Amino acid sequence: MIQKKVCMLGTFAVGKTSLVRRFVESIYSDKYHTTVGVKVDKKLVQVGETELTLVLWDIEGTESENDLRKSYLRGAGGYILVADGTRQDTLYKALAIQSSAEETIGTVPFLLLINKADLADQWSITEREMTALREKGWEVIVTSAKTGSSVEGAFQTLANKLVEV
Amino acid sequence: MTRPVAQGILDEEASANNASDEGTMAELRSLLLGPTETQLAEVHTRLFDPERQLEEVSRVLPDAIAVRSRQDDELTTVLGPTVAAALEHSVRKDPKPLADAIFPIMGPAIRKAIAAALSGMVQSLNQTLTHSLSVQGFKWRWEALRTGKSFSEVVLLHTLRYRVEQVFLIHRETGLLLRQVSQGESVLHDVDMVSGMLTAIQDFVKDSFTSDQGDQLNTMQVGDLTVWVEQGPLAILAVAIRGTAPQELREVIQETLERIHLQYGQALKNFAGDAAVFADTEPLLEECLQSGYDVEHQPASSARKLNPFTIIVGVILVTLLVAGFFWLRDRRRWNAYVEKLRSEPGIVVTDEGKQGGKYFVSGLRDPLARDPKVVMEGTGVAVDAVVERWQPFQALAPDFVLARAKSSLDPPATIKLTVHDGLLEAEGFASHQWVVETRRIARLLPGVSQFEESKLLDLDRIENPLLMFEFDKTQLRPNQEDHLNQLGSDIRRLQHLAGQQKVRLEITGHTDGSGTEARNASLSQGRADTVADMLRKTLPASTNLTITTVGSREKLREEMTEDDRATNRSVTFKVIVSDPH
Repeated sequence: MIQKKVCMLGTFAVGKTSLVRRFVESIYSDKYHTTVGVKVDKKLVQVGETELTLVLWDIEGTESENDLRKSYLRGAGGYILVADGTRQDTLYKALAIQSSAEETIGTVPFLLLINKADLADQWSITEREMTALREKGWEVIVTSAKTGSSVEGAFQTLANKLVEV
Repeated sequence: MTRPVAQGILDEEASANNASDEGTMAELRSLLLGPTETQLAEVHTRLFDPERQLEEVSRVLPDAIAVRSRQDDELTTVLGPTVAAALEHSVRKDPKPLADAIFPIMGPAIRKAIAAALSGMVQSLNQTLTHSLSVQGFKWRWEALRTGKSFSEVVLLHTLRYRVEQVFLIHRETGLLLRQVSQGESVLHDVDMVSGMLTAIQDFVKDSFTSDQGDQLNTMQVGDLTVWVEQGPLAILAVAIRGTAPQELREVIQETLERIHLQYGQALKNFAGDAAVFADTEPLLEECLQSGYDVEHQPASSARKLNPFTIIVGVILVTLLVAGFFWLRDRRRWNAYVEKLRSEPGIVVTDEGKQGGKYFVSGLRDPLARDPKVVMEGTGVAVDAVVERWQPFQALAPDFVLARAKSSLDPPATIKLTVHDGLLEAEGFASHQWVVETRRIARLLPGVSQFEESKLLDLDRIENPLLMFEFDKTQLRPNQEDHLNQLGSDIRRLQHLAGQQKVRLEITGHTDGSGTEARNASLSQGRADTVADMLRKTLPASTNLTITTVGSREKLREEMTEDDRATNRSVTFKVIVSDPH
């Protein structure tokens, strides 16, 4: 059995905690609670023959990449960037956070989740932006913690990458 | 040696033949000396190219050092200052790598030194404590006997101070759990998350409270659980403890952590998520699963020598105990006496207690009741220790009503008095005077509402009837039979009532004043005999009748008229009772 530490990164209210809850407990709640510090959760996933325990560090949302507590990132096997599909600025902040994270822990597998797919009518991130990122080699997945759409798959994708490394 | 000579020849030839033949010469030279030239160039490079030199030296340096070290210790002497300076430089630049490197060896070394210094002191302390253990030991044995538990169980109960419930080995970098051991039931669940959280908290503390680089969170309190955290450069040991653990346990944890660093340092550095390699750390971690039994700590507090204070307290306690015993005994005796008084007829206790060191009792007492001092006999209460205050009163209990009746009425021996429900009954016979008196007084006695005299015989009925005779004859006047019959039945009733008492009926014959004395004597004798004879016919043979003759000496009336004279011609009766004995 292998364990990997995975950090959830992104600015405020993009749905990091909701994604973790949806993935770990299959629960979604409309109530917004801001995470203070960090909340640690875990989930067992299967990658081929390997059992992998994802220890998920749901880190508090930060206004900018400078506020990110680097010590929480230490030792992470991978991370998940989360942006809010209805707020374009969250994507730019996610990009900044990504470069800050890479500076801190080096090149490790990561995903970019564009969350809140259920709010299609308020969507403000363009297909072009996503394509550009994909061309850079990024894994970009549109998810919804509310409906659960693509959430399981996204975590599984990261799990696969973590085992390959 | 050949190469420099060849070089010299070449140089001479070159200057002689000049530039015209240069091309040919070069060709010739290369043909003749080609390989040598290349070799020369190479030597040149090796001698003058610094990079090549570095390479060369690095190739032989380790061996050279080894060879020289075997010969003498010149190298050590020469390198000493340099190494020292290098270390100093390294520490000044960043102390962490060096600290990390020597971490596994520094801890034990320091602890060993301290432990050696302390052990002597501890030993003498232990001895003192062990001596005082015996008293405690007896106490525990007594407790074991009393409660039915085994002795060891009692000792365990008293001495168990702490127990390490769970030990976690956590990878410092990732916060991932490497291994955990526990004894008994696990107190912390989902240990993967716990270890992550522990690390996160550590990070948070370090980020938020950094006053000094080495500061870290060492202890956490969760209910009655204490979590001790020890950090190494690569791993963290967290230990969940129930109770109060001694500081020595921390040393055990530190030592374990150091050994893990020593043995698994490489594995910790290369850890990529697979904790299987740390399975072998379990025996090490289990060493931390300690339980503390309080052997020398507990008795220390109870191992008191007898001091003056204890003695004084002891004496006071004993005195109190003795005084208490006497007080209790007196109290019980007094209560018994009061209880006896309360049940005594004719005595009503209204108050009792102790006042000014003396017992007192007050209430109502019928003068006919027993003296309280008599009641007191045999209760153990001293007469002079009691103050009594009694108000007289008349008890209405039948016994008291009867006693009062007896004292007021002064009945003769032939009368038996009884009291029942306010009814005073007289049984027997008595003088007319007593009967009349009693009728008058009885109704006035407290507790008496009625006087019953159906079984009472008024002696007047026997002593009063006058049996009259004819003039100068011993014959009864006509119509006296009824009187005689009535008398007979009254005498029989008297005999019945008398029971065992002996009753004698004295018959006295009387005459009037006429006639001679001699005649009157015989007349009165005859008249008494006549009545006696007539009575004997109706009365039992045992009836005691005696006859007295008085003639005309004891006249019943002064003879003024014929009526008086007729009355004097009679017999009278007297009832005489004598004790059977």
